[in-house]
Amino acid sequence: MKNIVIIITTIMLLAACNDILEETPMSIASENFYNTGTEVETAVNAIYPPLQGGEFVSYFTHLTPLDDYAYGRGSIAVLNDYQGYGTSNIANMGRVWAALYLSIRNANLVIKYTPNGTKTTEREKAQYIAEAKFLRAFDYFYLVRLWAGVPIRTEETIDEIDLPRNSVDEVYNLILDDLKYAEDNLPDNPRLLGTPSKWTAKTVLADVYLYLEEWGNARDKANEVIQSGKYSLVEVYEPNDFEKIYGADVLTTPEEIFYFKYNDERGWPLMNFFHKYGDGYKPYGGNYYSFYSTTDNFFYKNWDDDDFRKQHNFYSWDIGYGDNTLLFKKYIDPNGAGNASNDWPIYRYAELLLIYAEAANNANNGPTNEAIECLNKVHRRAYGYYPEASSPVDFKIGDFNKDSFFELVFKEKGYETILECKRWNDMVRTGKAAEIIMEAEGIKINESMYLFPIPIAETNYNKAIDPVADQNPGY
Amino acid sequence: MKKKSDLRRNKKISWIKKLFRFMKLTSLFILLSVMSVFAGNTYSQTKTVDLNMEKTTIKEVLSRIEDQSNFIFMFSNDVVDVNKKVSIKVHGQKIESVLNKLFDGMGINYTRNGRIIVLSGAQGKYSTSALQKHPVSGKVTDSSGAPLPGVTVVIKGTTTGTITDNKGNYSLTSIPYNATLLFSFVGMKIQEIVYNNQPAINVTMTIDAIGIEEVVAIGYGTMKKSDLTGSVASVKGKELSDFSTSSVSQALQGRSAGVNVQQNSGAPGASVQIHIRGTNSIQGSNNPLWIIDGFPGSEGMLNASDIESVEILKDASATAIYGSRGANGVILVTTKRGKAGKTKVDYQGSYSVQTVRKKLDLMNANEYAQLYNIFWENTTGSEYFTQDEIEGLGEGTDWQDQIFRSAPIHNHSLTVSGGNEKTKFSVGTSYFDQSGIIKKNDYRRIVLRSNLNHEISKKFNVSFNTILSRTDDNPTDDSSVLLAALSAAPTVGPYDDNMDYVDLNDVYAFSPDCLNNPEAYFNEVSKKHVNNRVSASLAFTYKPINGLSIKISGNVSNSDYRSDDYTGVDYPKSSGGASIGTSRALQLNSNNIITYNKTVDEIHKISVTGGFTYEESTSKSLSASGSEFLSDATKTYNIGSAGTIGIPSSSYSNWILMSYLGRINYSYKNKYLATVSFRADGSSRYSEGDKWGFFPSGAIGWRISEENFMKDIDFISDAKIRIGYGETGSTAISPYYTLDMLSSGKALFENGLYTYFAPGTRLPGDLKWETTAQSDFGLDVGFFNNSFRLTADYYIKNTRDLLNTVQLPTSLGYRTTIKNIGEISNKGFEFQLDANILNQELKWDISANISFNKNKVIKLYEGQDIVGSIYNVIVANDNINRLQEGKSISAFYGYQWTGFDEEGHYTYKDNNSDGDISEEDKTWIGDPNPDFIYGISSNMSWKNFELNLFIQGSQGNDIYSLSMINQNYRWNYGFNMLKEVLYDHWSPENKNAKYPSIDKTFSTEMGDNFVKDGSYIRLKNIELAYNIPVNKLGIDWFSEGQIYFSGQNLLTITSYPWWDPEVNSKGGSNSINQGIDYYSYPTAKGFTIGVKLSF
Repeated sequence: MKNIVIIITTIMLLAACNDILEETPMSIASENFYNTGTEVETAVNAIYPPLQGGEFVSYFTHLTPLDDYAYGRGSIAVLNDYQGYGTSNIANMGRVWAALYLSIRNANLVIKYTPNGTKTTEREKAQYIAEAKFLRAFDYFYLVRLWAGVPIRTEETIDEIDLPRNSVDEVYNLILDDLKYAEDNLPDNPRLLGTPSKWTAKTVLADVYLYLEEWGNARDKANEVIQSGKYSLVEVYEPNDFEKIYGADVLTTPEEIFYFKYNDERGWPLMNFFHKYGDGYKPYGGNYYSFYSTTDNFFYKNWDDDDFRKQHNFYSWDIGYGDNTLLFKKYIDPNGAGNASNDWPIYRYAELLLIYAEAANNANNGPTNEAIECLNKVHRRAYGYYPEASSPVDFKIGDFNKDSFFELVFKEKGYETILECKRWNDMVRTGKAAEIIMEAEGIKINESMYLFPIPIAETNYNKAIDPVADQNPGY
Repeated sequence: MKKKSDLRRNKKISWIKKLFRFMKLTSLFILLSVMSVFAGNTYSQTKTVDLNMEKTTIKEVLSRIEDQSNFIFMFSNDVVDVNKKVSIKVHGQKIESVLNKLFDGMGINYTRNGRIIVLSGAQGKYSTSALQKHPVSGKVTDSSGAPLPGVTVVIKGTTTGTITDNKGNYSLTSIPYNATLLFSFVGMKIQEIVYNNQPAINVTMTIDAIGIEEVVAIGYGTMKKSDLTGSVASVKGKELSDFSTSSVSQALQGRSAGVNVQQNSGAPGASVQIHIRGTNSIQGSNNPLWIIDGFPGSEGMLNASDIESVEILKDASATAIYGSRGANGVILVTTKRGKAGKTKVDYQGSYSVQTVRKKLDLMNANEYAQLYNIFWENTTGSEYFTQDEIEGLGEGTDWQDQIFRSAPIHNHSLTVSGGNEKTKFSVGTSYFDQSGIIKKNDYRRIVLRSNLNHEISKKFNVSFNTILSRTDDNPTDDSSVLLAALSAAPTVGPYDDNMDYVDLNDVYAFSPDCLNNPEAYFNEVSKKHVNNRVSASLAFTYKPINGLSIKISGNVSNSDYRSDDYTGVDYPKSSGGASIGTSRALQLNSNNIITYNKTVDEIHKISVTGGFTYEESTSKSLSASGSEFLSDATKTYNIGSAGTIGIPSSSYSNWILMSYLGRINYSYKNKYLATVSFRADGSSRYSEGDKWGFFPSGAIGWRISEENFMKDIDFISDAKIRIGYGETGSTAISPYYTLDMLSSGKALFENGLYTYFAPGTRLPGDLKWETTAQSDFGLDVGFFNNSFRLTADYYIKNTRDLLNTVQLPTSLGYRTTIKNIGEISNKGFEFQLDANILNQELKWDISANISFNKNKVIKLYEGQDIVGSIYNVIVANDNINRLQEGKSISAFYGYQWTGFDEEGHYTYKDNNSDGDISEEDKTWIGDPNPDFIYGISSNMSWKNFELNLFIQGSQGNDIYSLSMINQNYRWNYGFNMLKEVLYDHWSPENKNAKYPSIDKTFSTEMGDNFVKDGSYIRLKNIELAYNIPVNKLGIDWFSEGQIYFSGQNLLTITSYPWWDPEVNSKGGSNSINQGIDYYSYPTAKGFTIGVKLSF
């Protein structure tokens, strides 16, 4: 009896002691999560912030000066020489890599744990997994274009520290698989503005097919989006009407396919780099990396002065480099308090129309009526005409063959998607970069610049990647 | 196996439980005693003695009585045969009856004077020989002239003597001619005076500053300094308040060997980094543990004037009793205590004026325009300013004058202390108010403190300590104000013609984009940070039998912090912005300590300490922000009126540490000393199964000077060798680091924010204690009657299971994890010399210390380097500090500058010869760790004058001047810069220049040309004081007075080219970014006038 008392007392004391030293943080432990619809939804939301935040902004700041219409200041000034990336550029792009992979990790967690949920329906599960897969594909699409074959991390290899580089084809296969799943399982309308619908998935698929040069597939996916009737171009009748698309106060437009959304509370971090205090176009931070152009710039000079987009996109402002200096007006928030609430357009309907035009032309070995109509819609609007009806500035099918029509679409896409991080990728994809830079700047481009080096934070700590043998060419 | 360990745990727990039960009982017992015991009569009337001794010597009986009471016997062996054997058995008898019984029939007489009992032979009252006798009397005073009561006056070689009365007077009725009088008093030097028929012998006693009988605080107790086996440095409160410092840490700078105090910036109230014997930890804090009156506390709560003494425990044999909290050393602070006797009132007051120590030599308006004409010419081919314009500009504005001011410090403290045999008290208040040398910046601290000690009865004692403190400061955004002051165009002032703020970013087309007009900042931005802290502790001591003491004490500390930062609507580019942060930290502590002291046969002295302690800390924070306000009327006090309200945030954190501790001190014939201690700590922060850590230590000491063979060596008065080894730990991780938690944030959709939950980027894992093992070899030697005392120590410290951040490949999504892998070592020598050079009318004491520490990273996870933060100063963007195996901690790693290319741009060494300058070309370019640091203080006094000097310095440390890169190469952004840029830049005519060509290209990297020698020697304080001869003035109520005039930082010898070498902009308790100078608040110099008065 006495022994029993002692044993019971000891057990109680043991429990008491463990209680004292046991931590009870006021936060959520991961093992009990991903159970209900709301929980999974907040886990899905976590895939976006790495892309919306400051690290990923380096993608914009580095791709823009590589475009032929913009110059960079500070550490990105070196990009204008096209002779290679500086240490600072490489470090910043390493952060882009990290942001993309953080987004991928959060997607993988959703894909891995959602199926175990006890309080979610199969339909909910499929929808959330589809959103996660869409974003995972989206992330890998950026990675494969900037770094070529990268280590593929999926829900199955989430804990493996050392993973080798996969081939470019393997990465694209994953992207296609994920996008196809997303296309099948995403809802008709986005869960929230800023999240993908099935039409978003199709748009990205069309773009991916362009990179894979599967012209027919690209055309067909783009066409499905066009035929859905979900989207249309915003009408523009004077240059300032473009504010209806890019303005800070715009919540959404029929042209929005996939945007990163920002508001007054959480502005687009990039925008601190655009304007100069005094010009009235807020916000203005330490615009250390500010971009500028000049009236002597080749792209600018050749751009038709009557194009509303040209009139809308630039303003003259001397930043100490002479009075021919131009700053960019595409994203302004003159009434904003501190942050720029302009959204970052990732895919707009106008771009999709041009994707269709390029794909259809290539698939058909020459322009089709549909292709030329898609191009014309975009072109008409830029001159202040109603996009859906023929106009005096329309291009005629008979005037173009496959090559000249491609050039035309390429040029139009350059104007239409200026400051949307499209042009450098297109220049590299189509193999036109060297030619364009030579023509515009008289510079022979260093070809290592087509890819960034695998970041040192990866090669140092991932033992499956040899820092020399597995590095991209030229590094 | 598992079962076994569980069983062990059971045992431990029941032990705790028992202890708790015991504590409850004792507390109750104490409470009952408090109620039942009433104030007694005077000591000797109530004091009773129990004796039961058979056939023992009288000497032993007397010694037993001394043990049981506070009586002291004085006698001479020649007169009293104390070796005579007696038997005595008394119970609860008063002293008189015991002595009568004891000396019955022995021809021994006795006289009692207070607690002193003098024995004499049968012949007379005093046992003086039958020689001629003379009466003598006199007065004993201390160095200030105040009477000293209680001084023992004895004729040398006899037991005849007396003690001084309340007025310091004594008289002896008869002493022989040529006899020597000995005057002795605790803490004072013994004085010997030969009687030559003087009518009066007046004596001035001086403090025995370097007395070896000094008692020092050690962990959970006190100890005679001569019995120490560990390395413990003592600093007196008086030294700390020599001159006004905004923190106790700053006052400790240069005072003790092995203690490296570095201010991170010169701002009032700025954080200070203290490293004792080097850097141990990467992940955790390297700051020592502060124990204030027995409990962990914050030094920010105290003014130097509140402090009686500070003990710094340096080696592991001293710190191991603090276990997991002791790895960085322990600083024990004892606040002022009351003493029995007359109530004493002390006032100290001072007023200082500080100014910036050095201004930088910037271009004036004219030179600015010249430089930018060169830039303009080199970039656009034409000049910006015409010659007429340049000539019209003149000197322009020196923006440094716009931000700096001469700033006062007020420092006042008042302490009232006193008490009687039973109750002692000390209450005090202090007020410290320092204005910064940068406008609008200030720091204030008010402290209220009380210390009560009451002897309820012979067996019970209670003490109560409280400290209430309030610090409030108005910080400036130092780096942005300083950046603006150095970078703004000197061609304009703060206001334009319409009295609007000049926009410094819009003066010229090439103006910068990042400057805030400092004047606008001063007027429109307000920051107020207030911290109210309270710490209260109550202790009961129970001494059931002689030598045994049980102390049960508890402490509650609470800190309540609030920051109110507001940017006004008139501030350029602002629509008003408010942010509020509050945090509250509650700390509960309980110490339950049993101490037993026993001396056996005068040979074996044993002291045993054991105990249980419990610490719990909880902190909560809440913050809110908003922007867009209609007016500045509400500031931060109506955040709901903001146009845009930020996302509020709150947090919670809690940790618990429970510990058992024990220590045994043993000394044999005061010659051989040994200390063994252990502590077991259980921390909530570590993984299950690794929560408990054990920290043992052992040390031995040998007082060679007590050996017979040393008795003949006259010039060595004291010598001790100490050898110790111990282990301590560090709670280097924050709570919850081992748990898999999701953190939340906001994602943007639609036009709003949506919550997300995801793991952070740190992969959690199982973690255990970081352990530091330290060996210490020490030597204490006193020469010439301890006029010179040298303490030398050599230590080896190895920190193993070092917690460090391990990088993961970024593709994992998790970027880092923390692992217990790594090892750091610190080795060093320390020397402390205290010398009493002159002790005549001119007195001169010198105290000097020097310490050499060498640290080395031994092992890191898989040999991965740990790199410091990346600093982006536009013209360069890179990290500087690095930890690598085999190198010293935080050494600088970067490029080597080689000169200029043909266009006048900087070039760097291509170490891997690949034709390209890249990461691989970096190498070791500097080391922020000093070769040695030192401090020298000199105190001279002559008559009523004192001259004190305090010199402090650091040798062999490098500083990476990030400010210089940012400041002197930003012509692309219209910065003003040093004059030398204009006069010494590269041009085809000046190819051997310091600066590159003034053009659009950035050619700077984090190179070795910005590594500067940070060595300095500084006259920290020089003070001339006059002691008012109060006794000559005949003012009874005024016992001591001093007026002094002093200067701080008046002289600095350094080659460091920027503001000040005492800088560590990115430092912090666990920062690996050491030795970087980035627009740190400059150090001030100052003059002080002050008084110290006692009544």
